[in-house]
Amino acid sequence: MRVRVRVNGEWREADPWEGTSLLSMLRDELGLPGSKNACEQGECGSCSVWLDGELVCSCLVLAAQADDRDVRTVEGLAGDGGLHPVQEAFLEAGAVQCGFCTPGLIVAVTDLLAQDPSPSEAMVREALSGNLCRCTGYQKILDAVRLAAERMAPR
Amino acid sequence: MADRMRVVGKSLARVDAPGKVSGTAIYAADFALPGMLCGKVLRSTLPHARITRLDVTRAAALPGVRAVITAADVPDVRYGGGLKDETAFAKDKVRYMGQPVAAVAAATPEAAEAALAAIDVVYEPLPAVLDLEAALAPGAPLIHEAWESYTAIPILHREGNVCNRARIVAGDVERGFEEADRVFEHRFRTGMVHQGYTEPRAAVASWDSSGQVTVWSNTQLPFEVQNTLAEILQMPPSKIRVVVPGVGGGFGGKLRVGVEHFAAFLARKSGRPVRVATTSEEELTAAYPRQGSIVELKTGVTKDGRITAKAGRIWLDTGAFAGSGPGVASVATLVLAGPYKIPNLYLEGFAVYTNKTNCGSFRAPSGPQANFAVESQMDIIADALDLDPLEFRLRNIVREGDEGPTGQVLNGVGLEECLLKATAAIGWKDRRPGPGRGKGLACGWWTTTGGSSGVYVKINPDGTVALNTGAAEIGTAAITGAAQVLAEELGIDLTDISVVAADTFSTPFDFGAQGSRTAFAVGNACLAAAADLKRQIFALAAGQLGVEPDALTLADKHVAADGKRLSLADVARLSQQTGGGLIAHGTFIAPPTPYDTKRVEGHVYPAFHSPSFHAHAVDLSVDPQTGEVTIHKYVVAQDVGFAINPTYIEGQIEGGVAQGLGQTLSEEIIYEGGRVLNPNLTDYKMPTTLDVPRVESILVQHPSLVGPHGAKGVGEPPNIEPPAAVANAVAAATGVRITSLPITAEKIALGLVDARAGGA
Repeated sequence: MRVRVRVNGEWREADPWEGTSLLSMLRDELGLPGSKNACEQGECGSCSVWLDGELVCSCLVLAAQADDRDVRTVEGLAGDGGLHPVQEAFLEAGAVQCGFCTPGLIVAVTDLLAQDPSPSEAMVREALSGNLCRCTGYQKILDAVRLAAERMAPR
Repeated sequence: MADRMRVVGKSLARVDAPGKVSGTAIYAADFALPGMLCGKVLRSTLPHARITRLDVTRAAALPGVRAVITAADVPDVRYGGGLKDETAFAKDKVRYMGQPVAAVAAATPEAAEAALAAIDVVYEPLPAVLDLEAALAPGAPLIHEAWESYTAIPILHREGNVCNRARIVAGDVERGFEEADRVFEHRFRTGMVHQGYTEPRAAVASWDSSGQVTVWSNTQLPFEVQNTLAEILQMPPSKIRVVVPGVGGGFGGKLRVGVEHFAAFLARKSGRPVRVATTSEEELTAAYPRQGSIVELKTGVTKDGRITAKAGRIWLDTGAFAGSGPGVASVATLVLAGPYKIPNLYLEGFAVYTNKTNCGSFRAPSGPQANFAVESQMDIIADALDLDPLEFRLRNIVREGDEGPTGQVLNGVGLEECLLKATAAIGWKDRRPGPGRGKGLACGWWTTTGGSSGVYVKINPDGTVALNTGAAEIGTAAITGAAQVLAEELGIDLTDISVVAADTFSTPFDFGAQGSRTAFAVGNACLAAAADLKRQIFALAAGQLGVEPDALTLADKHVAADGKRLSLADVARLSQQTGGGLIAHGTFIAPPTPYDTKRVEGHVYPAFHSPSFHAHAVDLSVDPQTGEVTIHKYVVAQDVGFAINPTYIEGQIEGGVAQGLGQTLSEEIIYEGGRVLNPNLTDYKMPTTLDVPRVESILVQHPSLVGPHGAKGVGEPPNIEPPAAVANAVAAATGVRITSLPITAEKIALGLVDARAGGA
């Protein structure tokens, strides 16, 4: 089955089996392991990507559903060697431990801040409730969101 | 002292952060090789049964299938830590639902699944032992009929379904009860819980033409996995190379061989690299979770609140194989003693076989179970004596120079400060601020595990440094902490250090990322390496600068004396031209902690090394109708000895509390009839952003005599006290005392109904 998909701005082609998820296609066929394969049940958010600008768990999307559409992954966030402000904030706030949930969280936080540049902590908690992190207890992730929001605010 | 430090004691960003935030860091689950096959495991569908037929012919003939293996294809050996009771595949009989029976490797996951479905296996069910009571009952079926024939370290006390009984006896417990004015007896129960690491266990294996196998694994203990694989494969360890690319969380769940041996066997048979990774269902049915337990405590106290004696027993449900059970049962007895001065003790820990998954080690193994019982009972007793729970604890806690339960002399004891600071921060004076609202307190102690660590430290020709350690970075930032210690000594920045991934072929030995020991032991090994490097640097620079080596100092990336200086890069290049480059092998082994050998029996962990002390306080409300708990504030005061990197220590505390609250309020692997009822992350409820409160971390610093700059282990302790702190706060808020984990809303609501009925 041929799938043609625009990933991080570049048109790519793959030939996955019909039952392949978007996550597996990104990881195994397109060389993008940043989106993590953790629960494969849509429970943990580690595989979060954008599909036509909408935040999705890529483990729950078939590769075929992405045909002729736009996908953006964590690998598409940093530009020219520099980190995205959300990535910088995670690094500086100490929001990264094992890091396996981090790419999914960074995608989810970037999506949240695009919709609401200065969310309340309650809104942040609601927005990130689909991303499981077992290391941090979330506190420094909440700090990172606040830091990123401050940095990204229009002056 | 810390004020003069440039690198240690500072909240610097971890060395591996850029790769992790950008998505470029490669974990074992990401690791891939050309032509790699997908390996999967066929697992038992019954808790206890004889295998009467196992035929893989049809599966092996399916398209895309490259290898099928069973017990018949692998060496007939039993392996394990202190007790060798485990086999790679079930042979003749299965002992838990989920036990590996066969494994396949195929070109695609779909072909592998089809092959599993095509394996013909027939079972004859046997009576199953489904819980601790059944396992201990007279005439209970034996899970291991031939237990006496198994190889075990002689220290273990085994009998039938009990694979170890550890004991501490101090003083005369009966006399102690006679001296008491009141004696309290209680029973507690805790559920089985999973570590919940985000990255599933994964391994890729590949054989080369010389007969060496390389295994890329997310293990916490590469050197132990190397040795265990040598045992399972019946090969010399030198032919087995274990590499740890990256670990997506472990919490003790990735200590033992889990999938590595399947990958190795399948790769050998298929002649291709093979990856085996677990699913969420396999994690929750066939991993190494925390043992469920039953605890019985009998404690004698005087009228004025001094503890005269304690008898305690904990039975740990270790599942179908011993796993960590015998050691965890030992550690449990030290936790049962608590951080208290009690002259008369009789404490026993039992590791008990049942027909469940093999339990292992989970962050502070036995800590939450035993501490839940001890600290719940402390509050019950305080209430009965009409004493403030804080005051009751202060009358009994250990202080500097006191003896631990096995006679070890305690140093760096910051417990009183922890209790006072935690209670001050929570507003302890107002313990019941309103209806349905209450505050709870719990305290404890824990170890900094020993074992040896080695590092190679190499200075590059540009003056930067390569740190080679065999310790895996599992997320704690412990390696960053060790690198901070190194950077401080060498007068360089943390960002000048790069860390090489653990690799049994090239990195020096390390006892592993376990037991809160990594920053402590690797940090000390870095100190030793730095001392050696300084000698080398000063000798070379002295010749070059024409000064005495003793006059030289190393700071700001330069070596200097008498107004002359040379950059570290220059010295490194000089060494490359003249002496093979600057490199040092630093090692560390924690000195033994003396204890009274007469007090212990069957005990593999008789003293807590460089012990840490901690107090947790929580302020919560309970919904009077639903029993739902809402946490308003959570405070941890932890004696960390010395805070090498405050941010990541806070991270350990915040994460440990969140994980502890999951075990306290919502998590349990629920077995019924030997089957796990909730093998998915919808029904196994780990805390989300909506469940975890902000945690206030108070870092108390009473230095260890041994740790780098006085540091103690910090990773495990925050997971210990949440169950008891919450149970005590729930009791303060409602009068309902919950004595089993998890403390679900349902249990509290039923308790409230009972209380209302009793009061009516």
